[in-house]
Amino acid sequence: MELFTHRETDPAAVSGRPGLPLSGRRVVIQPNMSRRGWPCNAGSRALENYTALEDAAIIPRLEKSGAHLAGNSRMSELGFGLSADTTVQALIEKEADIALMTDTMGEARVAAARAGIFGFKPSWGIVSRFGLIGLVPSMECYGVAAADPADISGVMQAISGKDDRDFSMPDGELPDFSQEGKTKTGSRRAGIVKEMLSLLTDKDRGLFRENLKMLGSAGVEVVEVTFPEFELLQTAHQVIAAAEASSSAGKYDGVRYGYRAPGAKNWNDMYLDSRGAAFGTLVKAFLFQGAYFQFENYAAFENACRVRRRLVRSMENLLSELDLLVSPTCRMVRKDAAPSDVRGAYEEFILTLPANLTGQPALQVPGDPAGDCVGLHLTAKRLDDSRLLALGRRLAASRGAK
Amino acid sequence: MKYEAVIGLEIHVQLNAATKLFCDCPNRPGDEPNRNTCPVCLWFPGAFPRLSREALEKAVLACLALNCTIQPVSAFDQKVYYYPDLPKGFQLSQHHKPLARNGWIDIAGENGEPRRLRIHHIHLEEDVAKLVHETEGRTPISLVDFNRAGTPLIEIVSEPDMRSPHEAMEYVKTLRGQLRYTGSAECSMEKGTMRVDANISLRQEGSSGFNTKVEVKNMNSIRNVGDAIAYEIRRQTECLEKGEPIVLHTRLWDPDKRATAPMRGKFSGPCIPDPSVASIVINEEWLNEIRGMLPEMPDRKAARFSGDYGLTPDEAAAMSLERDISDFFEAAAKSGAAPRKAANWIAVHLAPALRDRGAALAETPLSAERFAALLSLLEKEIINPQSAKEVLLQLLATDESPEKIVEKGGYGQVSDAVELDALIDRVIGEHPADVADYRKGNAKVLGFLMGIAMKASKGKANPKLLREILAKRLG
Ligand SMILES: [Zn+2]
Repeated sequence: MELFTHRETDPAAVSGRPGLPLSGRRVVIQPNMSRRGWPCNAGSRALENYTALEDAAIIPRLEKSGAHLAGNSRMSELGFGLSADTTVQALIEKEADIALMTDTMGEARVAAARAGIFGFKPSWGIVSRFGLIGLVPSMECYGVAAADPADISGVMQAISGKDDRDFSMPDGELPDFSQEGKTKTGSRRAGIVKEMLSLLTDKDRGLFRENLKMLGSAGVEVVEVTFPEFELLQTAHQVIAAAEASSSAGKYDGVRYGYRAPGAKNWNDMYLDSRGAAFGTLVKAFLFQGAYFQFENYAAFENACRVRRRLVRSMENLLSELDLLVSPTCRMVRKDAAPSDVRGAYEEFILTLPANLTGQPALQVPGDPAGDCVGLHLTAKRLDDSRLLALGRRLAASRGAK
Repeated sequence: MKYEAVIGLEIHVQLNAATKLFCDCPNRPGDEPNRNTCPVCLWFPGAFPRLSREALEKAVLACLALNCTIQPVSAFDQKVYYYPDLPKGFQLSQHHKPLARNGWIDIAGENGEPRRLRIHHIHLEEDVAKLVHETEGRTPISLVDFNRAGTPLIEIVSEPDMRSPHEAMEYVKTLRGQLRYTGSAECSMEKGTMRVDANISLRQEGSSGFNTKVEVKNMNSIRNVGDAIAYEIRRQTECLEKGEPIVLHTRLWDPDKRATAPMRGKFSGPCIPDPSVASIVINEEWLNEIRGMLPEMPDRKAARFSGDYGLTPDEAAAMSLERDISDFFEAAAKSGAAPRKAANWIAVHLAPALRDRGAALAETPLSAERFAALLSLLEKEIINPQSAKEVLLQLLATDESPEKIVEKGGYGQVSDAVELDALIDRVIGEHPADVADYRKGNAKVLGFLMGIAMKASKGKANPKLLREILAKRLG
């Protein structure tokens, strides 16, 4: 299977600009990140033959930092899950150094964990989503995967920051990544959520304890904490994300762009035929769930929103007493076949999706190089992105020294 | 059984902001189809809506003019339904947290009694695209014009406080006057920049409960609003008298048949908080700035006109109903025109002339100074009222001074007794039978002969002098 759906061939663009923080770094992006003139179908037939009209906010920022945009990888339909994704594969095959991936449930971090590299999801709202063809606006963000955490910092320094075209960005000061290399991480306390542990098999737990030694040798104290509503994180994520996805995908009607089914007798049939043929099974199932909560069970949606607000508070309270939460990034045991149902898709991200629901930054740190792929998942306070990445660098350095 | 009507109105008003609500496209729905569009209002993937500050300001002005309380935080919801006129699959509107609540409008009731009609809330929303269905030809097609998609609207939802078609029409008229005053909306039902939907139910007189209501749409004038409501009250009364239940549904007013007919049920979807458009947070300082932009409103202005310019209550009300007219009246008075004379000429001659032309005052070259100069020519008897009317019409078309127009057109009044004497000689000589008739006692003939003489003077004779001389000569 082709790794790239589009490759940059313009020699001027390929060389990138010298002498800048990301000079010489090749970045692979996904075809839902608008790059003027590149095919931009978000992995869906709904956007068949669609070409981006203008650059996403991150594109000129990356270019200004000297990065070379290598091309578009394959992605799962509308960025939901990892079933068809080849973005990190481009890094494994040395075709790129840094991957930008849509992270809605934890896609960037889980893909990085499987590849044994670093994966980062910034605090919600610190990178302009202008030009990102998204699905779940209140949770999705640009995730970054790279073998070297310094590359992640470099990308974050380039792409984060205010943009007056994305009004959903928070007021006030955003994280400063420019000083990150010098940031003192200090003594830190990390909490393990007791309720999370019960989701792991003995084998997962064993690997997790092995990986935790990394933190110990970096001077991070690990304590056990409780998050009684931990299981609700997934439910709330699923209900709200499905409803938002249903709204976001409402624009794919075949009227203005994308796939339009031929031969319909009236506009209603045209809608049904076009949408029926445009979406794959998994996305369709997800949109159905969303439409169910919108049209048939709005009370459940409202409930999920209330629960979410409570979970955000719980998470913030936990993190006010700690510096980090720590868990594996994913579980060891997983089915070989790509999940074809929504529940199966969610199962893969059960440990990463809390940060998407409640908005914190989170970092996947590769585990023991001897070969497990569960990784260590660190969640920090909102907007504490820079310190989290600094810790990631220290962990990488100590790993390298071993 | 005696029934009482319970009427509530939902009024959509297009704000006249320069751009659409969430993008920089011109707010000109009437332009060549799909000319005023961009990735945001066509909802291309990756686009982001950005609330227009001007639209928000105009909406807030409108809410203030309707005595509403601006909410410190308001937010947009997605009204979800699928239709080709809706590029997103939802319409951005404010359902859960509207911009303003609890306003009112004062009107005079059927018998002149003061009535305060409450407004439940006002919210901001974007308009949808326009669909053109072409059924002619081999394959019927539907065309979509997105010029209107995303243009800024406010929806004003009243409490069910109205009890008669009269009250509903007065509510709309007053509301329109208030909004036009703020300069934030044109409010033309004919042009579709104001759309009124009425909810009507009946109940036993004296009871306070609410019964099943019927919604009536598609009225294109204030008169039609009254007629449609009156029709609906009659229809529902007949239903109740026949023992038929009233069913919740929507009806369309047919202005030709002058009746309402049921329309196919429109699916109404859910309203879901939008995760992408930022909430509107209004602080007191900014609100005060907008309050400062609120002009003197009609009620207060009418009271001042009565006091400052000695207008009767009716004259004062007429002069303050529309903001441009009120400004014009006041400027004319300040330029030296006698206030009551100016008010009279504006109401009787100028306003109808503007209506005939379908033009607003600002679209004509007429200035208050030139209008005052015209009245002064009349006052000084340099021209007579008939000529003054002629000159006024010309002032609407050219920017020459009234003096110049009078001179060029020879409108100067003839007050020369000798000249008028000669004229009357001729008229008397040419109408011996009528003269004899008058002398026999038929007084009406004087008016007839006056008309002939005035015509002979090409309308320029000083009418007072002409009548005096004529009466004396016939005497
Ligand atoms: Zn636009």
